Amino acid sequence: MYKSTGFISFLARRITGVGLVLYLFIHMWVIGSALGGPAAFDERLAMVQGPLFTFLEVLLLAAVIYHTVDGIRLLIVHYFRVTEYRKSLFYATLATTGILFVAGAIPLLIFMFQEL
Amino acid sequence: MRVFQMQRISAIALLFFLTIHMVVTHYPPGHIDFERIIVRMGDPLWKAIDIAFLFFVLMHALTGAYAVLLDWEKVAAYRRPLAIAAVAIGLVAFIYGAATIWAFQPAAQAALP
Repeated sequence: MYKSTGFISFLARRITGVGLVLYLFIHMWVIGSALGGPAAFDERLAMVQGPLFTFLEVLLLAAVIYHTVDGIRLLIVHYFRVTEYRKSLFYATLATTGILFVAGAIPLLIFMFQEL
Repeated sequence: MRVFQMQRISAIALLFFLTIHMVVTHYPPGHIDFERIIVRMGDPLWKAIDIAFLFFVLMHALTGAYAVLLDWEKVAAYRRPLAIAAVAIGLVAFIYGAATIWAFQPAAQAALP
């Protein structure tokens, strides 16, 4: 059971989901500084920018893309009755996540090295 | 409306809103400050889009967190208080987030040195 693709995808969806919920509230707190005016916003934004945060954004991107693509897989399984292709769809999810992640991470990493 | 239906509806909405958010706000990557954001957020249509995004992202996050917590046997007995807490957190976060979006006014930029 613990090695089945169903269990792995269930676990990965939960882990990325919980991580993204925590991130959402931190993100809202950072952006919420705009309530104190443009200077307060720029000051707080400056705190969370730089090479380290750009690197963390790369990890965040991986979680966002995986969670999104896995969500699309779930929608396909739910609405199109393709249960016999479950395993293939999981591997397609990983492949699609990989491609989108590389495409999204390259500009971020280039930006990160420019910041160093 | 059942929790899983709320998750499905918000998930489909997020496919649209999150894609827009990522493309418009975070790509190409660059330094983000008020001056950069206000170019887009000065437009009331973008404020409306972001408020809708906020609504769906909170719905998805809170129904998701609720579902994850209910999987935990010890917590499952507190279904109702958890649901009330999720709605309360959602309301507070929505008001806070909407006020934040509203704070991006072009006139405010004049206060910057």
